[in-house]
Amino acid sequence: MAEGFIQIQPLEQDPSLIKPAPQRAAPTGTGKICGLDVGSTTCKYSIATASGEILGQAYERHNTKQAEKVLDFLNRMEKDHGFTPEKDRVFFTGSGAGLIAPLVGGKVVQEVVAVAAAVEKLHPNVRFVSEIGGEDMKTIFFNGDGPSKSKQVLMQSACSGGTGTFIEKTARKLEISTEQLSQMGYTGYTLHKISSKCGIFAEADSNTLLKAGVSVEEIIASLFEAVVYQNLATLTKGNTPLPEILLLGGPNLFFKGLQEAWRYHLSKVWKERKVAIPDDRDPASFIHVPDNALYYAAQGCIEVGLRDSPTVGTYLGTKKLSWWIEEGQHEEKKKLGSAGLWKDHEELQSFLSRYSTPSKGTGAPAPAKSNGNGHSNGHGKPRRVPRVQLPMLGKTSKLGPVVVGCDFGSTTAKAVLMSPDKDLLFSCYALSRGNPIDDAKSLFRQVREAVGDGQILGLAITGYGKDLLKDILGADCPVVETIAHASAGLHYFPDADCICDVGGVDVKIMILNNGAVTDFRLNSQCSSGNGAFLQGVAERFNIPMSEMADGAFRAQSMPQLSMGCGVFLQSDIVNQQRKGWHAEEILAGLCAILPLNVWIYAGGLNNLQQVGKKYILQGGTHKNLAVVKTQVDFILKKVPDAEVVVHPYSGEAGAIGAALVALDWWEAGGESKFRGFDAIERLTYKTATSVDTVCHWCPVTCQRSFIDVELDGGKGREWSKVPLEKGWERVIVNNSCPKGLVEDLNEMKVIKTGMEKTKNAFPNVADLVRKEAFRRVGA
Amino acid sequence: MRFPTLPIWSAKKRSVASVPKDKNKDRSQVRVGIPKVLNIWTTHQFWVGFLKSIGIESENIVFSSDTSEEQGREFGKGRGTVDCCYPVKAISGHYGELVFGQKKKINILLSPMIHSLPSVLHGHVVDTVTCTRVMAGPENIKAGFLKERDVFGEAGITYASPFVSLGDRHMVTEQLHTSLKDVFNLELEETERAVKAGFEALDSFTEKARKQSRDILTWCAKNQKPCILVLARPYHMDTGIGHEIEGDLQAHGYPILWLQYLPGDEDLMNWLFEADMQMGRIKSPFDISDVWMSSYSSNTNEIMWGAKVAARCPWITCVVRLSSYECGMDQPTYTPTQKIVEATGTLFFKFGDLDSTKPAGGIKIRIETIVHYLAKYSQKIMQQKLEWLSPNCPLGPLPAFAPPDAVQEGPAVAQQVHSSPS
Repeated sequence: MAEGFIQIQPLEQDPSLIKPAPQRAAPTGTGKICGLDVGSTTCKYSIATASGEILGQAYERHNTKQAEKVLDFLNRMEKDHGFTPEKDRVFFTGSGAGLIAPLVGGKVVQEVVAVAAAVEKLHPNVRFVSEIGGEDMKTIFFNGDGPSKSKQVLMQSACSGGTGTFIEKTARKLEISTEQLSQMGYTGYTLHKISSKCGIFAEADSNTLLKAGVSVEEIIASLFEAVVYQNLATLTKGNTPLPEILLLGGPNLFFKGLQEAWRYHLSKVWKERKVAIPDDRDPASFIHVPDNALYYAAQGCIEVGLRDSPTVGTYLGTKKLSWWIEEGQHEEKKKLGSAGLWKDHEELQSFLSRYSTPSKGTGAPAPAKSNGNGHSNGHGKPRRVPRVQLPMLGKTSKLGPVVVGCDFGSTTAKAVLMSPDKDLLFSCYALSRGNPIDDAKSLFRQVREAVGDGQILGLAITGYGKDLLKDILGADCPVVETIAHASAGLHYFPDADCICDVGGVDVKIMILNNGAVTDFRLNSQCSSGNGAFLQGVAERFNIPMSEMADGAFRAQSMPQLSMGCGVFLQSDIVNQQRKGWHAEEILAGLCAILPLNVWIYAGGLNNLQQVGKKYILQGGTHKNLAVVKTQVDFILKKVPDAEVVVHPYSGEAGAIGAALVALDWWEAGGESKFRGFDAIERLTYKTATSVDTVCHWCPVTCQRSFIDVELDGGKGREWSKVPLEKGWERVIVNNSCPKGLVEDLNEMKVIKTGMEKTKNAFPNVADLVRKEAFRRVGA
Repeated sequence: MRFPTLPIWSAKKRSVASVPKDKNKDRSQVRVGIPKVLNIWTTHQFWVGFLKSIGIESENIVFSSDTSEEQGREFGKGRGTVDCCYPVKAISGHYGELVFGQKKKINILLSPMIHSLPSVLHGHVVDTVTCTRVMAGPENIKAGFLKERDVFGEAGITYASPFVSLGDRHMVTEQLHTSLKDVFNLELEETERAVKAGFEALDSFTEKARKQSRDILTWCAKNQKPCILVLARPYHMDTGIGHEIEGDLQAHGYPILWLQYLPGDEDLMNWLFEADMQMGRIKSPFDISDVWMSSYSSNTNEIMWGAKVAARCPWITCVVRLSSYECGMDQPTYTPTQKIVEATGTLFFKFGDLDSTKPAGGIKIRIETIVHYLAKYSQKIMQQKLEWLSPNCPLGPLPAFAPPDAVQEGPAVAQQVHSSPS
């Protein structure tokens, strides 16, 4: 991802160069100066006498009501410290400063300028400052001494990587309270690899680690590592942070472990870069975390104010601010927003009538025609089947010969049964409980109940479980996800150009050309645009997902949110709330930008014209009609003659595609290797999780589990650290990457030998270059 | 643990010339490090030949390892620059490795700024210059090692970054003599000899690699088997930049060609481009003016040419396009290359926006997708493309294809080879 830092230089004018302000009567009287730091989550104030002596300070959360909190502070200061309009002065800094300062006559001081001013006064020996905020990170380098002292500032606020939110978000997911988090350490823990790039992916990595049995302490330590690494990697830009060091900002102050991580890394950098440290001192002693650092920005405002002309920043009282809180912000909201998700009721109705029932497809035998798919008729056992429902299913009923398509996903396993005429007969699912064997058993029990004595003509599996389970179940076709989805999409809509699958945690875009998937975008670097985020916001507003679309459609107008980082969208939402937007309106705004995030930000597709004309929307997120509406509007705006359909069996598309591939295979004369329901039911396994099952392919050292399954013709693993006799097969789970599916060096040797053999038989010209082009002896 | 208390930078720097003038130009003890980056990936042997000719011992020519995240973390951390081009950014790790990571220290870090490249298309295109960002990469990266203090000087290393136009052979001697004479204590005459030796070594390697490509195609023709062409910039051969994506396909049993080393043999090229030349669309098989008018950039030109060859060559049934994140040079070529390749039904798959990390989940799925289509459509594609060419294949007699009913339904072939878009 592009680096979103900006460099501000020079920071401020040398005080001696500041021209004296035009002669205006300086306010007589107390000459008190107040510094107010209006941050993204908290407000802080410091008030000082004309000579800079601190009279009082406070630090409070504003719960998204910045203006109200500032008013509260000002009233308090008037009362407690005799802060007087027209006489005293006020200086603002922080993300909310620009809006509020003019309302009370205050002057805005850029945050970094304020912090730097405080640091220069309080810590003249500091050469490097890292300030980690809730949603940004900054570094300040001080060079030289005395009057020639210069500053270089680097900051980034475009992405959540390396900021406080990054840690807190994951900690919240792990159910660690802020108090616990602040006491958790870094030193001595095994560190695991956690994405330092994006907060949402860090959360996903942490989940994987947690599932793999890694302790919460190690995960948090790894998060601290990721934050420090991100700061050092992106915000130093060729400069070495030299002692002494100051760590500022909430996360640096509160999280003991983060301080430890800084100490470790900075000491290491100094050693590597041969930075002179007196022999008798521990390098870590050059790293300071001042207790009152929270007030530095506010105190810096006072410093800047003291140097400024005494007429600047004269406090005007709270009248205007009160007006703003009561009335002004609501008027502002009206001006800034845009209309809701629909133009008029007619347009909304025509959309709803077209899309509130899923598209039936234009292709070969649509399943709904003869067998009543999609319509529950009240017979048989009620099942937890979302859309495709089984007609007339009693325990004795028979479906006749069928092919089975299974999709073993990360959260659920699904199966569909399809007749040789491509009629969809049944679907079922099982929640994934981490053991693929148990998941498969649970799924096939349901399949068996539906099939009765019916014959299984072929079994195809797709999803992450395909490689694990293909031999154990006796699958005939392992089908890669893209092919499964493309087959299912093309079955219903043979002229489709693009399939857009927006799931809970990922966005997949498949571009089809000549009936083949020619381009495939899997959003794996950044979380913007996925459904989990939408769900998260809905949850925060206590709106169930099922009602989200209705809510969004009720909104008459909505705020304009900005495309991009999901973590920052959250803070944007806070801002919008502050402006008075309601939950439904914000959800409408979120649905409105989702297509931008999906296609442009995550998919990198600016030119939809090039993609084609027919679009299939699928994946759980497209069950939300408000999202479908914005997707349709977005695509039509880019491609006016486009046709957008929602896959009729959105959730089952993978399994349906697999079934279609199985059918193709069966029609070409395949004979099924399916092991049979009894064999699956009888599958016995033993699970091992120990030091011997830990993966050593990379420093992450995932705690894997081995599930050993007794199986006719199982090859066993005599060479393994956890030996397995013949007649057994091993399934490896809880690995966080594909590498971990290979047990150890011994197995790797077996695999490598096979791969080398293939590679030698099928040469790659680049191998010649890699091996010989850099040889120093005559090539 | 002891930290040096005296700042090292106050120590006396070594003199610029690392090669003592008085030792009768004995350079046998001089160790030269070359960062294995960017266009070094196609000019490698020139530098080996050049250095050996001036008396640098083989074992004293050190190339950095392939790019890796670890290399960047260990050696390049915090020396980065403001550049979205990962192949350029990664150079700081290579510099760091050569400066800090060698058991036997190097004396000279040679990081040429290559302004133009030798190319099979030379003379058929407007020019063969390199990307300016890539050319100036060394200047950019050097700053991270000089900003606070002279890291090279402290390590006793002379930093040499000659500006050189390898595409214009007649200019090279003077350029290298001017920029390297003080570094190596070079005379003009020996520079001339060294340049000659360099080009000989490079040409010899290039010829060998092209021969391998031709052998692959011959094998494919004989066995009616498909192969894959990688359309990418030379440095995508670096396992840390291209992430060995093509290797994953190779492991499924497909030979891999790279456009840099496509056989430019007259017989083969004339066979492939015969119809185009007869129609007067192009003057020679290496003429890309039908698809790319502003043919200045060497690598871009070759990418366009590679796409044309892939569209015509029967056994190249699939093209894999690799491109690094936000590559401004690649941007305008995405659509034309894809259209050219797909015009004949040849499969085209793009791995764009490659960065430091291998997009693991995505790549596995995509490789399996590609393999699925290769297996399904290759026979049909080969058959179709052969029908468009004259039967006199210069790669030898061709066996008959399997009967059509054994071949699965193929994709609709959009256009004939002779009407590829311009």
